[in-house]
Amino acid sequence: MSECRKENLAHFAVTIISKDRPGIVADVTEVLFRLGCNIEDSSCTMLGGDFAMILVVSHEKPFAKALLADEFKGLHERTGLAAYVRTLAEDEICPVKGEGELCLISVYGSDRPGIVYRVTRALADRGVNITDLNTRLIGTKEEPVYVLMLEAALPEGITVEDAEGLLEKLKKELNVEIGVRAITPVAL
Amino acid sequence: MPAQKILVYPHLLLKTLCRPVGGIDGEIAGLIGDLIDTMREGPGSVGVAAPQIGVTLRVCVVDVSASRQGKENNHGLLVMVNPEIAAREGAAVMREGCMSIPDYTGDVERATGITVRFLDGDGMPREVRASGFEAVAIQHEMDHLDGVLFLDRIASLKTGLFRRKNYR
Repeated sequence: MSECRKENLAHFAVTIISKDRPGIVADVTEVLFRLGCNIEDSSCTMLGGDFAMILVVSHEKPFAKALLADEFKGLHERTGLAAYVRTLAEDEICPVKGEGELCLISVYGSDRPGIVYRVTRALADRGVNITDLNTRLIGTKEEPVYVLMLEAALPEGITVEDAEGLLEKLKKELNVEIGVRAITPVAL
Repeated sequence: MPAQKILVYPHLLLKTLCRPVGGIDGEIAGLIGDLIDTMREGPGSVGVAAPQIGVTLRVCVVDVSASRQGKENNHGLLVMVNPEIAAREGAAVMREGCMSIPDYTGDVERATGITVRFLDGDGMPREVRASGFEAVAIQHEMDHLDGVLFLDRIASLKTGLFRRKNYR
């Protein structure tokens, strides 16, 4: 997706969630292929015992969202997977490119309510834009450990050290470890 | 010896195993000049390999001395003909981008320290012990000589798509 030269294309966000089994991706992409849709961007993963797919797809205009929705309705009736289709506005098609430093923030500690909320609220209040986020519950039943990993684009004027300072007091409050490191790409 | 156009994947020469150079003649000297000029012209570029400008010979140039990550620890301009890695140690992940794969970056694990042997621009054998960003840059450029791109080495597509900026 290096440029946004897609004036004649209609774009849709497709969200799929299904009890995990072999063949979900094949079923979904078969529908897209048959309709002549292109997968512009996608992220799919197992979540618990489900498999979740998020895709941005495009099709030459004119193309009705109902065509997608009808196909996925059929798939839902046959396999039980749940699908949701949304039309994307022009300004939702291209990725927002951050101006500032990119950083990786890792948070882990004994499980407790509010870890994700408190960390992301502190970041949001300073205009830090999260670009990727994953969480997992690890450890044992007796000692559950919560792990959060996120990548974020810092706004102009906020350094990695600033971001670290911003989260410093949460370490004590939530009793978690928080690490921040720069991952700004190198050009070769 | 002007700066040359950088070939962009899927150009086939980027996936070609390059031939060793027999000796430094006028043609190779010209190629080295072109590589240096092309590197100097690229925005924040710290290295160029011959196949990136369409020549499938084992020649590359690296210079991280002006980069933020490499300015404290480098050997200046390295002209490397027929380079070979004699030893490597350690491993670290760095998010790399490549002029031949625009608008994409990915995490690549590479050795943190290498000993590399090569002929310099005058045809003299040299051995350099590089570490940190310079070692990463040398490994990245040497990969080009084997037709290997960083896309061959990334473990996940999840990252990437960030603007290449502030490289210096």
